Amino acid sequence: MSGIDKVIHEPVRLRVMASLVTVAPKAQVDFTYLRDLLKVTDGNLGAHLQRLEEAGYIAVQKTFVGRKPRTFISTTLKGREAFAHYVAALKQIIEGGEAG
Amino acid sequence: MDVSKEEAQKSLGEIQDTVQRTKKMVAYAGGDTLFIVWGVIWVLGYLSTHFLPLLCQWVWLVLVAAGIIISIMVNRSGMPLRIPAGKNIAWFWLLLYLYASLWIALLFPFIKVRGHEQSQMFWRHMGAILATVPMFAYVVMGFWLARFMVWLGLAVTALTFLGLLAIQPYFWLWMAAAGGGTLIGTGLFIRNRWR
Repeated sequence: MSGIDKVIHEPVRLRVMASLVTVAPKAQVDFTYLRDLLKVTDGNLGAHLQRLEEAGYIAVQKTFVGRKPRTFISTTLKGREAFAHYVAALKQIIEGGEAG
Repeated sequence: MDVSKEEAQKSLGEIQDTVQRTKKMVAYAGGDTLFIVWGVIWVLGYLSTHFLPLLCQWVWLVLVAAGIIISIMVNRSGMPLRIPAGKNIAWFWLLLYLYASLWIALLFPFIKVRGHEQSQMFWRHMGAILATVPMFAYVVMGFWLARFMVWLGLAVTALTFLGLLAIQPYFWLWMAAAGGGTLIGTGLFIRNRWR
C-alpha cells in the first residue's frame, strides 16, 4: 500500500486540504471564499467536502452570521496529519524513493 | 495506488499554488491594511510627540480612536476566516490595556520627577511601555493566528528598547521610523508578497 492517500489525491480535495492547512489550526474558512478561491461550483465543492468530512479530515459548521446562513470549514488534527503524510509521500516519490 | 514522479510533481505544484492563493485571500481580508493603518498612526503619533509635545496627547487620542474605528470596519467587511479565539482576542486586548492603565495609575502618585531632563526620560519610558504593550499582544496573538506576528512583536519590542537605551534624544523620531516603519513594512510585505 502506497503512502498516497486516495481521499486527498483527488485534485479538488487536494486543493481544499492545501488551503485549509495554510490557515491557523482551528481557523474556519468561509465556504464561499473557498469556492471562489478554488473556482468550483457550490455542488462540486459540497460533494468533495462531504467526502473529506466522512474521512474525518475536516469539520463543517453551518451557522448564521446576522440573518445570513454561512458555512465554515476547518481541518481536524487527523486531516492535518494525513495531509502532512501525503506531502511527505509525494516528496519521496519525486526524490526517487517509493512512498509507503 | 501508483503515482508517477510527474504526477507527484504536479500535485506538489498545485499545493504550492493553492497555499499562495490562500495567503492572498487572507491578505486581501485586511490583515495588510491593519498593519499599514497602525504603522501610519505610529508614525504620525510619534512625530507629533517629537515636534508638538504640548498637543501630542490630543493627536494621539484622535489617531487611536480613528485606528480602532478603521480596524472594526476592516474586520466587519467580510473576513473569510473565523478564528474561534476571535472574541477572546478582543477581550485580551481590552484587559491588557486596562491592566497596564491600572498599574500606571497606581504608580503615578509615587513617581517623583525633578527637572526637565528627568521629565523627558520619564515620558520616554512611559512611551516605551505603551509601545511594547500592543507588541506583547502581537506575540500572544501570533500563536493563534500567524507565527510571523510573534517575530514582529519581538522585533518592535527590541527596537523600542534599543531606542530607549541608545538613542534617547531622538527616541520619538526613532519610534516613528523603526516602530511605525516596521508595521508599515510588514503590511506592505504581506500585500506585495501574498497578493
